[in-house]
Amino acid sequence: MAVRRLGPGIVVLCLGAVLARGIADVGGPNHLLVAIALGFALGNVVGVPDRLAPGIATHKLWLGAGIVLLGASLSLEAVLEVGGPVLAVVVGVTGLTLVLVEVLARNVFGLADRLSSLLAAGASICGVSAVVAVAGVLEAKEGQIAYAAATVLLFDAITIVVYPIVGELLGLSGIVFGIWAGVSMFSTGPVVAVGFAHSEVAGQWATMTKLTRNALIGVVVLAYASYYARSGSAGAGDGRSLGLLWAEFPKFVLGFLALAVLSSLGAFSPDQQASIENAYGWLFLLAFVGLGTEIRLATLRATGSAPVVVVLVALLVASVVSLGVLTVLF
Amino acid sequence: MAQGQKAERMSRAPWEPYAARLWDRWTALERDWRSVAVGAMVVGSVALLDLQVPW
Repeated sequence: MAVRRLGPGIVVLCLGAVLARGIADVGGPNHLLVAIALGFALGNVVGVPDRLAPGIATHKLWLGAGIVLLGASLSLEAVLEVGGPVLAVVVGVTGLTLVLVEVLARNVFGLADRLSSLLAAGASICGVSAVVAVAGVLEAKEGQIAYAAATVLLFDAITIVVYPIVGELLGLSGIVFGIWAGVSMFSTGPVVAVGFAHSEVAGQWATMTKLTRNALIGVVVLAYASYYARSGSAGAGDGRSLGLLWAEFPKFVLGFLALAVLSSLGAFSPDQQASIENAYGWLFLLAFVGLGTEIRLATLRATGSAPVVVVLVALLVASVVSLGVLTVLF
Repeated sequence: MAQGQKAERMSRAPWEPYAARLWDRWTALERDWRSVAVGAMVVGSVALLDLQVPW
């Protein structure tokens, strides 16, 4: 049953992944960007047939699994060495983006409170996942969720193209480009894609930085829950603080950390390490073909101009500030 | 009706109920934990079965 339901879509993801590798090998652009482009073409030119949709929807599972495996190729020493400043940058830029979007959306553009909060969560933490998580506690309307999600997806599509170009033009090092992408872009998939499209080092730092940022989702959801409960406009904030923090915590981070520790203890031979790295390379390819199918032109066209301008300003500020700080630090 | 059910039961492979139970448990897992499980399966296959993953 499950094989028949999920199999066709997963086979298409696999074919897309092999094709992306093939195109990149004959001198095309980076294989991860080709994978996204193939998915985009499938979603927008051909359209995803119903028969393939359940299997293609598994792409987030493969992305999470790839991130878990990425833990095996990290050097904890390097992480601990620069971890403090990176954590400070992540917390600072996340806070800055959140406040900036809230202030601009509510006070300058007069957007509804809940829509402003959804946009702020999506722009500051982890894209659509954050929009959905925050929507749950502030009882946002379906339309507002769709609007905020579409705005975030629009910027995911733009940043996937723009960040690698800017990184190349400015000649950024792997570590600076990776942390910059991880701290200022929105969704995890695009961050990992542009990171590894730049270099292996950039990919690792982009993923680690983004995971640190994603881990803040629980705190942000909790803050919104108590804010809206205090203002009496939502039924959240029922005192389940720890439960809420745990519920929103991205659990695959634990798998990632466990593998990072095992790897640092020398649990894997060089051959095994290489196999694990190849495995996450393939898992990312599967994930990015699926991610590409989710970038729909029709949805992007449906975004309103005010949310787009608000998020654009916040992205530009977060981007410039974080790049300035990172260039000084590293 | 009863005969039909009996025939259907007899045509099922002996491992099917176990597979169905395993699948139920899998689908009950949160997606993040499923990602961890897939990662663990890959690492287990590489470390214990010496699986070589080509690129």
